[in-house]
Amino acid sequence: MSTAQIRFLSLLRRELNRFFKIKRQTLGAPLLETFLYISVFGAALGSRIKELEGIDYVVFIVPGLILMAWAINAFSNNSSSILQQKFQRAIDDQLSSPASPLELLLAFSFGGFLRGLIVAILTFSAASVLVDIPVKHALVLLPALFLVGFFFAQLGVLVGVRAEQFDDVSFAQTFVLQPLIFLGGVFYSARLLPEPFETLTQINPVYYMIGLVRYGFLGYTEANVALSLTFLSVATFALFAVNYRLFATGYKLRA
Amino acid sequence: MALQIADLTKRYPTGTEALRGVSLEIEAGEFFGLLGPNGAGKSTLIHCATGLARPTSGTIRVFGHDVVDDGPQARLSVGLAPQDVNLDWFLTAAETLDYHGGYFGMPRKERRARTKELLDSFSLTAKKDERTRTLSGGMKRRLILARALMHRPRLLILDEPTAGVDVELRLELWQYVQRINGEGTTILLTTHYLEEAERLCDRIAFINGGQIVAEGTSQDLSAEFGVASLEDAYLELVGRNELSRAKIADVAP
Repeated sequence: MSTAQIRFLSLLRRELNRFFKIKRQTLGAPLLETFLYISVFGAALGSRIKELEGIDYVVFIVPGLILMAWAINAFSNNSSSILQQKFQRAIDDQLSSPASPLELLLAFSFGGFLRGLIVAILTFSAASVLVDIPVKHALVLLPALFLVGFFFAQLGVLVGVRAEQFDDVSFAQTFVLQPLIFLGGVFYSARLLPEPFETLTQINPVYYMIGLVRYGFLGYTEANVALSLTFLSVATFALFAVNYRLFATGYKLRA
Repeated sequence: MALQIADLTKRYPTGTEALRGVSLEIEAGEFFGLLGPNGAGKSTLIHCATGLARPTSGTIRVFGHDVVDDGPQARLSVGLAPQDVNLDWFLTAAETLDYHGGYFGMPRKERRARTKELLDSFSLTAKKDERTRTLSGGMKRRLILARALMHRPRLLILDEPTAGVDVELRLELWQYVQRINGEGTTILLTTHYLEEAERLCDRIAFINGGQIVAEGTSQDLSAEFGVASLEDAYLELVGRNELSRAKIADVAP
């Protein structure tokens, strides 16, 4: 193993170690949350709604729940981990090491990405116990989920690097991320909304992400799949480029 | 040459000019002390040398490697024990050392052996699986020094390593750093304890207002300020010679 590989794996192990040590909070809580969503929206509402766009309602919401689990966990892991280390100045140990900006950025990114992946797998497994979840287009689903996870991991890194206090992180999550996800159509089809909300939904980027994941699982979408995938790829790469620049210049990391 | 600093300036975005044209050379194998009042620029200089701060202008070379243009290579040779306890709360004592070794590219087998050796040397073996936040103040201080030494740096930077530690730990740390200096490690020490600097350092520099104002052996500095001790030279530097023990003794009943 090269020294660069040892460095990267050590940086990544630190990130994984952190969330495994507090797994009740980082893995258990999101799983419980998903159960509650399925219970409330699926069992309670589902008995009234039955079907949406010809799909059983509980099955209709599961792709969105999986996306939400991955997105929120990737985001919150990275934003909290970076801010916490900045706060304690523990991050100086990594910053004063020979690790390159790219190694640092990738390690922080994959920490949240992998936590999101684990929660998404647990969510899928838990939902599969209750209902049958088809996978209609795996070749769309896998890149779409990968890109969504990586996009929100990057967003978490960006917010964590820029944040100066814990309020900055919770503000981004509570007032920006969660409304965008909830209003992006996790629990409903945008077609059901009255105007102007149906049109407004279409300017929410998360709407297209949910569309892609739902298409991958159920074969149902309201948006252009190829265009959504292209847009998501470009946005993810752009965010990664911005973060790389922050790490290369040491913005809010090195004095 | 272990550390070569030429005309280094550092201006923070707030406009504060922490370093104003610092030039300094530390030979390989030297034990060098940097003394100055709070806010003189000691920590900023150390941060510039370790990549934690970006110099505004000037150059710093660590064993010939420029810290800006060749940062990773320069940082490979440096071990930093910072002034503040900056241990990661989530890690145990052993993990702290193991990860640090990993950040510096040490293979697993070597990391294990070195971690065991350092935990033994710093009397931390019994606490190896304890999370860092549960350690006592003295243990945290020892762990920070062990971490700085983990990758066997050729230049060890100690930023006020004995601040707030008890007498026996201070003497233990002195013995340890003198030993590794004897084995060839270059050491840059900042401290407020003048006795510590006199006892350990081959050469000392006074820094004040972001500038090196005097440099030499303890005797050189006393002679330069025309006083009898390093402490009096320091008091002259900060403009507080009325606090000199010699003067206080004169007026004491």
